[in-house]
Amino acid sequence: MDAAQQVHEQFIAALDAGGLQRRSNLGLAAVGLTPQRAAALLHSQMVSRQLDRLSRKLQARGEGFYTIGSSGHEGNAALAEALRVDDVAFLHYRDAAFQIHRANRVPGENPMWDMLLSFTASAEDPISGGRHKVLGSKRLMIPPQTSTIASHLPKAVGAAFSIGIARRMGLEETVLAKDGVVLCSFGDASANHSTAVGALNTAAWAAFQGTPMPIVFLCEDNGIGISTRTPKGWIQANWSGRAGLHYIACDGCDLAEAWRGASEAVDYARRYRKPVFLHMRTVRLYGHAGNDVQQVYLSKEDIAADNARDPLLASAALLIEEEVMSAAEVREAYDAIEAQLLRQVELAIARPKLPDAASVMASIVPPKREGSARPLASADARAAIFADEAAAMEKPQHMARLISWGMADVLLQYPNAIVCGEDVGPKGGVYNATARLHARFGSARVINTLLDEQAILGLAIGAAHNGLLPLPEIQFLAYVHNAEDQIRGEAATLPFFSNGQITNPMVVRIAGLPYQKGFGGHFHNDNSLAVFRDIPGLVIAVPSCGREAVLMLRECVRLAHEEQRVVIFVEPIALYMTRDLHAEGDGLWTSVYEAPGVSEIRVGEIGVHGEGADLAVVTYGNGVYLSMQAQKLLAEQGVAVRVIDLRWIAPLAEEALLAAVAPCSRVLVVDECRETGSQSEALLALMAIKAPEKALGVLAATDSFIPLARAATHTLPSRDGIVAKALEMVRG
Amino acid sequence: MAKETVVVVCPGRGTYNAPELGYLARHHAGSPWLAHFDAVRAAAGKPALTELDWAAKFDPAVHLRGDVAAPLIHACAFHDFLKLDRERFEVVAVTGNSMGWYTALACAGAVSGEHGFAIADAMGVNSQKHESGGQAVIVMAGEDWRVDPATARGVEAACAKVGVLPSIRLGGMLVVAGPEAALDALGRELPPLPRPPLRLAGHGPFHTPLMQASATAARASLPAAWFGAPQVPLIDGRGKVWRRFETDSTELWDYTFGHQILAAYDFTAAMTVALREFAPDRVVLLGPGETLGGAIGQVITALGWLDITTKSVFSLRQEEDPFLVAMGREAQRRIVAI
Repeated sequence: MDAAQQVHEQFIAALDAGGLQRRSNLGLAAVGLTPQRAAALLHSQMVSRQLDRLSRKLQARGEGFYTIGSSGHEGNAALAEALRVDDVAFLHYRDAAFQIHRANRVPGENPMWDMLLSFTASAEDPISGGRHKVLGSKRLMIPPQTSTIASHLPKAVGAAFSIGIARRMGLEETVLAKDGVVLCSFGDASANHSTAVGALNTAAWAAFQGTPMPIVFLCEDNGIGISTRTPKGWIQANWSGRAGLHYIACDGCDLAEAWRGASEAVDYARRYRKPVFLHMRTVRLYGHAGNDVQQVYLSKEDIAADNARDPLLASAALLIEEEVMSAAEVREAYDAIEAQLLRQVELAIARPKLPDAASVMASIVPPKREGSARPLASADARAAIFADEAAAMEKPQHMARLISWGMADVLLQYPNAIVCGEDVGPKGGVYNATARLHARFGSARVINTLLDEQAILGLAIGAAHNGLLPLPEIQFLAYVHNAEDQIRGEAATLPFFSNGQITNPMVVRIAGLPYQKGFGGHFHNDNSLAVFRDIPGLVIAVPSCGREAVLMLRECVRLAHEEQRVVIFVEPIALYMTRDLHAEGDGLWTSVYEAPGVSEIRVGEIGVHGEGADLAVVTYGNGVYLSMQAQKLLAEQGVAVRVIDLRWIAPLAEEALLAAVAPCSRVLVVDECRETGSQSEALLALMAIKAPEKALGVLAATDSFIPLARAATHTLPSRDGIVAKALEMVRG
Repeated sequence: MAKETVVVVCPGRGTYNAPELGYLARHHAGSPWLAHFDAVRAAAGKPALTELDWAAKFDPAVHLRGDVAAPLIHACAFHDFLKLDRERFEVVAVTGNSMGWYTALACAGAVSGEHGFAIADAMGVNSQKHESGGQAVIVMAGEDWRVDPATARGVEAACAKVGVLPSIRLGGMLVVAGPEAALDALGRELPPLPRPPLRLAGHGPFHTPLMQASATAARASLPAAWFGAPQVPLIDGRGKVWRRFETDSTELWDYTFGHQILAAYDFTAAMTVALREFAPDRVVLLGPGETLGGAIGQVITALGWLDITTKSVFSLRQEEDPFLVAMGREAQRRIVAI
């Protein structure tokens, strides 16, 4: 017999024949749960169960597309009872009962209908619009996530952290309440993910030093991850004695016990604003998902023992013994839910699906926020902030200093903006790009984080959920790879999976790219942006000089604030302190700081240096610097070159680029990134397709890691290499 | 054979008009409940419903007054509910509009038939206790029943500007309420509409904080002890579902004589939940009258329920095999009545 059917029949047989047993003698009165609320919890649990059964039938019919169920985990409904409905919940995929129960507490919700639309991938699914079977609801404060690799934990920690800093910043219009609690649930198996371990560590690290961290980590321990057993006692042994983390255990299969644990955990987190690890023992009924045959790796005895722990059996027993409902009434309610679902499901199947690629892609880029533009800061406010650097601001400066001032103006103009990263505080960042921000704006807005890139990006994502405008900094490009999924799988996908309803706008500043003289080796000179280029919806900016870095940074912040975009802003380290272009002391790579509101560079606007028509060099970042050096040398040899600065790696401004190269019959792409997977490939493809008449050349970094010392630039395009290649192309 | 499932909708004020005169006589003559209702009214020195219903002529000054209209409408609707053929139809949920909430309480079994009438009768009187003000209907939907979102936004903005509050969200219509002066001012602020706003004679500023005196009177005279759990799911004017074992009767009483009186009644939300969450085979609109049918139809088309996306498709479906059965319409009544 089908495993789901077996558990179902076990339940109705127990109801019909009597003999249901409570898992403990803990009664409703003892835990402060009214009969009505206990009945409501059982209702939510039974709805979740019937939906699981139906999802498997739908899949068999080819009408349903998700069968990872919540059966055995229905104890998590107790958290929905204990939390307020405005407490944000980042949920594990086995938490349908939580969502159903929270929905039942909010008038006007249709949890069963909504879940069926989700199962059947209807375009009317209110959270993802048919893009994925995810738990989630904007109204219910449940941002969608698949949670399959525990990548939602860092942002949950970020959201909890943001509650405290928003209070310190005096922000009133935050998404989360000042006394809010964050829920983040996950399974025992995914508790082993580095993201989970890192996030728990981050929360504990922060709480240990007194930082408010009102979060409940709900570990739903069913003892197995697909087919791999969690060692007995592993979760408790790992997390019960952890510094900074308050550990509570409960039995999720026992409704009264689950409520006792849930209410205690929520109360502690809200009262003390400290993280709680709520270890809820659950059971996984009928395998990992619809296609998982657990008899292959579990004995009959194991499966029978699991089935006996079905939380519905214990919940029903509790309510029957307490005379809230009779067994027949439970059975009647259980059957009524099934009948109701069977009526709904045929209608849900008939609802429209996403019809085409355009519909699918409609929410990759979130909607703009009309009327959200921020006024510029007043002259007085700026004068006060910059009083101690007024004289320096009248002189030309290099990129790092200009960026630090640009950041100060951003923080002044956007009261909800925060800066976070390793050493961004009093030290001012490794390259001083955040110099004096801490002194000017305080530790609530300029946050020194622990050394964990997942935590930095998680903080940003979570804070953005709370209405803050995060400007996280990743110290070096190579370090982002440690945490790339926070951008790839989390930040970038949120608008897509929430049908544009929930967003996490931010500007991620990253110091990167090669050509540092005498420092670093590969991990401080990494030269590939491929990790970002294929992520739909991401904006990638690479400035080439200080003046443009400031203007582009302002545009990036505007894009995040007004258009809810996730932006990657890569600052070429080698140009941070560069002052001269052609000769020592020429100061051509410096500029005087421009106050906001004077000039702008909008997304998609490319830079064109020179009007030469013999050759167009298409490049960005350090390539612009080198190409402009080459431009002068080539001019001396009678070759007129124009240098085109892409500025924006994504979205690529194709039309503007084609117009800029139009007068030239030759195009040379200069790309400091490794040739495989780099932007040079896309540029050459674009030219080949859209401008096939042009002669094309490319100078890209070789597919190598960056070595030390003088060898550091051997693999990279050089000024002289550009000159030679240009001459070859022009003169043959 | 499996029973057909139905959601029952109880109508509110404004549904007993001249054509409905004699409704009780035509459909419910000789009912013991009616005798009971009349006896209760007689004891309070009020004219019998049977007399009012059997009057020779519909008198707006009498029949539209709250203390007459409310018990009359309740009696018609409650009796219609009792006439539903339970052998063939299973009631899976009950809801109501505005004053119809009191009838819904009785139909769902959250209050007894006696107390249901006592509440409706008392609230007919109580609803006249309020600060100065009234109600107006704003028709936002065009002939095709579609509502232009810009029109809806414009109406909301106009209301906010002059201090008029939403009173009942009613499909393609918005009933608003507020002080007389504000209602007068509203006309000048509204965007172009399919038809001008219609002031409702004899109606107070229902479902707004201006009804505080009514709520206070209700709380003083209609005890929480009358309230119990509904026997079938009951959908309130926010779209909340009250279920049998989950209902705290004091909370239900508190909602009935608190939020329900003092804040906007969202019939659209109630119908949306009724359709989506209970997926009935049919919706039964109790009599008298059938004016609420338009609002129900507008909710159905707005949701594209059963692929009904336009008024004409709705009408066609109604002609073939009515999804919405109005017991106030003779031909449809026969589908569901004993």
